Amino acid sequence: MNSWTYLPQLLASGITVGAIYALVALSFVTITRASQIINFAQGEFVMLGGVLTFFLLKNLGPSYPLAALMAIGIVVMVGFLMYLSVIYPLRKAPMLIPLIATLGASIFLSNTSGFLFGTLPKTLPPFSGQQPFQFLGVFLLPQSLWVLGATFLLLVLLYLLSHRTFLGKAMEASSTDPLGADLVGISRNRMVFLAFGVSAGTGAIAGILITPIFFTSYNSGTILGLKGFIAAVLGGWGKNTGAILGGFALGILEALSVAFIPAGYKDGVAFAILLLILYFRPKGILGSPFVDSRRW
Amino acid sequence: MVDSDRKEFRIRDFLYVVPLWLLSLIVPDADDLYSYRGKEFKRRELFYLGALLFVPLIWRDPHFHHLMVLAGIYAILALGLSLFLGYAGQISLGHAAFFGIGAYTTAILTTRYSFAPFLAFWISPFVAALAAYLIGRPILKLKGYFLAIATLGFGEIFQVIVRESTVLTGGVIGIFDIPFLSIGGFSFDTYLKQYYLTWGVLLGLFLYSKNLVRSKMGRAFLAVAASEEAASTIGIKVARTKLGVFVIGAAFAGFAGSLFSSIMSIANPEAFSLNLSILIVIMVILGGMGNLYGPIFVSVLLTWLIDILGKYQVWSLPIYGIILILLLIFFPDGIGTRLGTRLIYLISYWSKKKRRNEGKV
Amino acid sequence: MSLLRVEEITKEYDGLRALDHFSLNVEKGIIKGLIGPNGAGKSTLFHLISGIEKPDSGKIYFKDKEITALESHEISALGIGRTFQTVQTLSNMTVIENIMAGMHLRLKGNLLSSGLWLPWTARAEKGALKEAKEILDLLGLLGRWKSPASQLPLGKQKLLELGRALAMKPELILLDEPASGLTSAESDQLKERIQQFKRDGMTFCIVEHQMGMVMEIADQVAVLDNGRLIAEGPPNIVERDAQVMDAYLKRKRSDA
Repeated sequence: MNSWTYLPQLLASGITVGAIYALVALSFVTITRASQIINFAQGEFVMLGGVLTFFLLKNLGPSYPLAALMAIGIVVMVGFLMYLSVIYPLRKAPMLIPLIATLGASIFLSNTSGFLFGTLPKTLPPFSGQQPFQFLGVFLLPQSLWVLGATFLLLVLLYLLSHRTFLGKAMEASSTDPLGADLVGISRNRMVFLAFGVSAGTGAIAGILITPIFFTSYNSGTILGLKGFIAAVLGGWGKNTGAILGGFALGILEALSVAFIPAGYKDGVAFAILLLILYFRPKGILGSPFVDSRRW
Repeated sequence: MVDSDRKEFRIRDFLYVVPLWLLSLIVPDADDLYSYRGKEFKRRELFYLGALLFVPLIWRDPHFHHLMVLAGIYAILALGLSLFLGYAGQISLGHAAFFGIGAYTTAILTTRYSFAPFLAFWISPFVAALAAYLIGRPILKLKGYFLAIATLGFGEIFQVIVRESTVLTGGVIGIFDIPFLSIGGFSFDTYLKQYYLTWGVLLGLFLYSKNLVRSKMGRAFLAVAASEEAASTIGIKVARTKLGVFVIGAAFAGFAGSLFSSIMSIANPEAFSLNLSILIVIMVILGGMGNLYGPIFVSVLLTWLIDILGKYQVWSLPIYGIILILLLIFFPDGIGTRLGTRLIYLISYWSKKKRRNEGKV
Repeated sequence: MSLLRVEEITKEYDGLRALDHFSLNVEKGIIKGLIGPNGAGKSTLFHLISGIEKPDSGKIYFKDKEITALESHEISALGIGRTFQTVQTLSNMTVIENIMAGMHLRLKGNLLSSGLWLPWTARAEKGALKEAKEILDLLGLLGRWKSPASQLPLGKQKLLELGRALAMKPELILLDEPASGLTSAESDQLKERIQQFKRDGMTFCIVEHQMGMVMEIADQVAVLDNGRLIAEGPPNIVERDAQVMDAYLKRKRSDA
């Protein structure tokens, strides 16, 4: 019975984590919309955002915002590099191989991070103070507000990007009809290249936002990436709105589950949800333009 | 100027051609297993068998034996997965879970319930197969990416459960003091004996796989990979076929797990992670789809690679990642595939260039 | 005797009626042609008969046994083979293995017995190899029996698919647009072979949207338009049917 009183608190923390899942899920969908590829190294971008900022702050001493921007810039470069060195050479291979290659890249990035920056968990200073404050009977960290606020901002930006700018529309076109887009001069490869940059940047921002609350270490990216993917599938694979909904849904469900099952199983909850969704409703909550019951 | 060009050219190409040529003598092409070849005992197969039997007796370094034992275990894993992935064309990113089920079954039966190791050895693959049967029935309805993710999810859930069920599995710490496998009074307690045990098991499983692949079942697997629609119109029960291969692959992994437990004497959850599942898939891809020998060779190759890299300590992991990615980029069809053909192209290209250069002079 | 009977089949896709209370009868030992303008529902009919899809209403009988709800592999086991409009050869295998794959139902063996290579497996394989070579010979493909199936030109791949269906020793073969993509020489070859197999007792149902080939070899022809049967009978009569000509010409005019 005691667990029930914790529910609002769990809900709050679930929403915070959910925002991060939403961002990661969005990054997955960005790449998939451009190219049908699932980039399993996505979580590593998040991890690198946090770890690099920490490293820069500690060793080069620029101001916090500057370090953050530099880190984001570097991670975007890493995203571009990954596209050029792994995805582009394999663009003609059957689906399985790029998938495994991104998994390989994920292993590479996490291990390199451990090698370069050490394996200890890292943390960053919260943006505006450590003191939790009370809101509707629940303790919130100021950082959580930053997370939610920044997530909202990013969502708006991404929406504007894909619907209002030419670039965004080009990316949409390229994913819906590659041949047609090609014929009007939109280079698919360039779109995918950009998509990698955008999703790397989004991931890095998510990493910087979350590190002050939960620590980041070299191997925390993998599981985060997987959960972001699960969130995207949960909400409706391939849809931006699905990614967001799925992210929050997963975060909340995961947080709430702690009230009912032993805490150690928490990670398993996400995967259990995945299996349930895949089995009962592969289209996800909002439905999916990519899932056809008869094909891939 | 032209002279030095030619000399440089020759040496450079030699470095490329000679190893490839040696490799092509040893590594078989996928061609070798087409059903109509029947039971021809090719000289190559006898060579492999001979090498397998006698090399460890000649090269008596215990470290080498140890390495080959590990390679053998990985080879069994890769063999099982190659039927599912390489032949039937289905993706599983959770295969390490069946490896773990086999390992833990043996560990638990022999340490907690005092089962004879020999008995545990036979029960483990059966348990793994049962798990595969139960999981497979719903999961195999999914296709492509979704099957891959679902199997990945299953693998992760397995790890979480093992880590948390401290009473049964010893949680994060795992189980210790698993006894060596023994038959009658004979105990497989040295690396050399374990080598023969492991590769003996592999040989048996390999013969079984080879028979399967050469028969109508092998054709059924390939048909399912080529076109499920067409396969169903020639009478193949697609769902049952997929389930069957999945279960067989899991049983192989169960054998491997049981051997692993008794050889390492410990079982803990970190050994059965997603990284291992990915590694096994990479072994099958690099070995070549539709090929039984390839994955075995690649597992030996990668085991040696990991060992060599281990000497570089901290550098090892990043380099390992890079090598894997590079191999995937350059050999998406498998390292041995069409090695002979590639070699011929290379040689003809080389001789044409040489002739062109000479002509210029 | 009626081999295949389709009764009042209706199938809709997203509001579009592919088949509308369509009925058809195929007698044993004949070649039944099924023609009609593109999109008339012909391939859909084959998918329904072979079990790949299920009709919204209506029934299908094979040898007076209802097969409407059966799975695809069960229907094949009863004796119906088919080819596909988009050629689905088993491209990861060799030519001979494609044929041998077609014999799947007729060979003994399962995961256990094949893996252990019990004596009958060896015998079965040898026999299968021999018979497959004979089938390839009949189709003129024996010379390339060891080639990967993907290396064959389209015309030969279609023959290979036919061979695979024949290997099942079915009673009825459904051919889905067998002549599309073939040169006229290849198409003549195909015609000859179909007639040869018919003489040996096989029943064929051929879907085509080009009139030429089918009209020459069919014993009876049924014409579909917009999912409905609009004419049925011997080719020479159907040819002259006003409604049929209308259907084709109407399409032609609207295409232009």
